[in-house]
Amino acid sequence: MSNATLDGKSISSEDAYEQAAKILQEASFPLVAGLGADVAGAQAAILLAERLRGAFDHLASRDSLTDLEVLRSAGVFVTTPNEARVRADLVLLVGPGLQSYWPGIFDRLALDKETIHGGTSKRRVLWIGPKRNEAKLDGVEIETIAATEQDLAGVLGALRARVGGRPAALAPAALKKIDAAAEALRAARFGVAVWAAAGLDPLIVEMLQGMIADLNVTTRFTGVPIGGRSGATGVLQASAWMTGFPPRTGFGRGYPEHDTWRFEASRLVDSGEADAALWISAYDGEAPPWESDDIPLITLGPPGSAPKRGLFIAVGKPGENYDAVEFAQETSSLVLRRAGAPAELPTVAEAIAAISAKFSEDLPC
Amino acid sequence: MLTRLRGGHVVDPFNGVDGVADVYLEDGRIVAPDGRAPDEEIDVSGHVVMAGAIDIHSHIAGGNVNSARLLLPEMHRSIRARLDGTPLSTAKWSTFETGRLYAQMGFTTVVEPAVAPHHALHAHFELGDVPIIDKGALTVLGNDDFLLAALRSNESETAITDYVAQTVEATGTLGLKCINPGGADAFKQNMRAFGLDEIVPFYGVTSRQIFTSLQKATQTVGIPHPLHLHMNNLGIAGNIDTALATIDAAEGLPLHLAHVQFYAYGLEGKSAFSSAAPALAAKINANKNITVDVGQVMFSDTVTISSDVLSQYGRLEGAIPKKGVIFDGDANGGGVVPYAYRISNYYNAVQWAAGLELFLLIEDPLQVFFTTDHPNGGPFTTYPELFALLMSAELRAQWLERLPAEVRDVTTLPSITREYTLNEIALMSRVGPARLYGFTDRGRLDAGSIADIAVYKDQRDKAGMFRNAAYVFKDGELVVRDGAVTKYVKGKTLRIRPGYDRAIEKRLDAYYDDVYGLSRAIFEVPESALAGKSVYAEVACRN
Ligand SMILES: [Zn+2]
Repeated sequence: MSNATLDGKSISSEDAYEQAAKILQEASFPLVAGLGADVAGAQAAILLAERLRGAFDHLASRDSLTDLEVLRSAGVFVTTPNEARVRADLVLLVGPGLQSYWPGIFDRLALDKETIHGGTSKRRVLWIGPKRNEAKLDGVEIETIAATEQDLAGVLGALRARVGGRPAALAPAALKKIDAAAEALRAARFGVAVWAAAGLDPLIVEMLQGMIADLNVTTRFTGVPIGGRSGATGVLQASAWMTGFPPRTGFGRGYPEHDTWRFEASRLVDSGEADAALWISAYDGEAPPWESDDIPLITLGPPGSAPKRGLFIAVGKPGENYDAVEFAQETSSLVLRRAGAPAELPTVAEAIAAISAKFSEDLPC
Repeated sequence: MLTRLRGGHVVDPFNGVDGVADVYLEDGRIVAPDGRAPDEEIDVSGHVVMAGAIDIHSHIAGGNVNSARLLLPEMHRSIRARLDGTPLSTAKWSTFETGRLYAQMGFTTVVEPAVAPHHALHAHFELGDVPIIDKGALTVLGNDDFLLAALRSNESETAITDYVAQTVEATGTLGLKCINPGGADAFKQNMRAFGLDEIVPFYGVTSRQIFTSLQKATQTVGIPHPLHLHMNNLGIAGNIDTALATIDAAEGLPLHLAHVQFYAYGLEGKSAFSSAAPALAAKINANKNITVDVGQVMFSDTVTISSDVLSQYGRLEGAIPKKGVIFDGDANGGGVVPYAYRISNYYNAVQWAAGLELFLLIEDPLQVFFTTDHPNGGPFTTYPELFALLMSAELRAQWLERLPAEVRDVTTLPSITREYTLNEIALMSRVGPARLYGFTDRGRLDAGSIADIAVYKDQRDKAGMFRNAAYVFKDGELVVRDGAVTKYVKGKTLRIRPGYDRAIEKRLDAYYDDVYGLSRAIFEVPESALAGKSVYAEVACRN
């Protein structure tokens, strides 16, 4: 298996870098997308987009932006999974599929153990809207409040209303259950809500955060967001300190402009506004979301993920094939993941550096 | 190559120089020419030549700063393209812009004062993306369970000393900061106010006990920078009592008090909010073990970023615009709350006046440092205006005219005629900061010092003078010409390596296994992770 291909046929890495540089440099508005990369890879990719006066987006921006919209409009209360582990006497799980978004969730939150900081106590665990049979955990009694994805917003809205002592239009049996949950939330000493934006509408996160703000008037309550896939949160952090903004940012005018609609990758490609694309998906070789198949395309992905069309350059999997700094869901911080299976493959940052080294000199730096 | 800066007015108080002289530099250092002819000569007559300035306390990097960026996209829309060779330098509020803006004002070293141990790697990544200037940081302790539990169980001072040394070394910083000692933990336990002698529930220790133990440990370890303390009761009317009691609690040991303007409030006046700066200044004048930075309020739209979560929660109600982040992190966490200081607002005007009183009533410029606690009292880009205010009583009088009239009843500022000289500005912004952090080769212009040099065109408009340096050299390279960055160089990150009894590491390993069920290694800041991102330079500890 070759480490570089063109339209599925093996080519030398040198040729691949050369052609990639040519494609990007000749484009008038190139797109750097996917961005499934470690922090160093993201830094290199963002600097590349800036130098080329293109735009960049992350493949899980939709999920990051769900939380960001709430942050930007109303603000948030957040904590780390570790603080929840040692202190949360009540954990409120919100929405279906949490374990699929974060496989280590229950191990990290240690719901079956007592709290440590601020005194030892058993935890109360509530789950609103789990999938069928999902709310089961050895040694933990999980109180569930049923809600389909469609009525999650309504149920959460009712809960927020009852926490605030306002009326909620519910049948008596349902109201009783919601009231009991509201009472539990109010009685928590340090409650923590956990949600994954990937499964939720921004309205739900906004309601949840509004309820948390209400609860803080009398007690302490906060939240643990579960971040998006393919390094989304680490890339978001790098994007923020480098440009001031999250992904979906363009440099057409020589300075960053952030617009969640204008710089969305699929729209840029399908509208023809972007005339070349560098697609990065180093973790798992996820394919681009756009429909157009005539944009000049360069893909960086793990070996074996070469698309049929365009240039492909194999890169290592961050934190697996090479030591990589990325955002760790379990600590809510950037950490170094040491490679468990080192491989002779370039890192994302190295591949971008190799492409950049082939730019002709008339490209300003 | 030997370069001569010819005929400038050299202001180098460390060496007692305040007059026309030449400065020679070669290979990144200031040198004595020893009779050699220079290869290059720059005529700087009509200019003031100083060492590069050092900012001792400015929130420029780390998770809380980044949350502020994401919280407030409307506050930092970019408007112009950058020059060649300076990627992202006009991306507002980016790390890259931070390096450019500091360099343009002649600043060559900046200390980020609030690095959470569990987020140190992130902070170093951001610092690595700040071009041109050298950076340093302080590590935050004082709300961490390990320390509070050690104090609860009356552990030996040695255990705490080793813990402090290990934490500072592992996080790659210049020393320790303590932020509302115990207050962040108390807030997690639902306390909404926390004073010097209040007890952190569950631990049974007071704020006083926490900070004095860290203060002693800092001395024992030999960290050049005294404990950097953000006191209790920030921003609250009448909190002058807290500040005075804290200075007494220091018992003569070195202590740095951060952004003291926010603690210089009395209860006088119709609104029961007055400047108590004269009392605080007198106390500082009488206690030479104390240094302070001011945290001057400058009228502007800004955002407050602080690891004092308790106090930030209290500020949420007055947020402008109405939103914020409250992060109950491991140990301190942080809060981000936007705010607008208005000259027409009585409270803001009193804050502004109190800050200037502190600058002008504290007698020794080596005890007081200019800061705006960027961005808490205003952005660092307002320093030139601040210097101008310190240098001109007339300018202050013009500003005072615009404040609400009642402010004059609760501040002594109108009666203060002192004007800082250039020499005093250099003491406060060069010599003092170097001494405060134990830097022996910066903040001064004698042979052997780093060739970090700021050259300003002498003019009546002092703000204009300090806003756009005519020339700035970083490690001997010309990086600013006529107020514009001409190229990037890569600054270093300054740190101390105190050394300690390695037995503490075994204990900490067991602690992390036990409490977090997690290997402590996950929080490490390995140099390999920073390779190509950040370069360290060492600052010596005291023996
Ligand atoms: Zn500060």
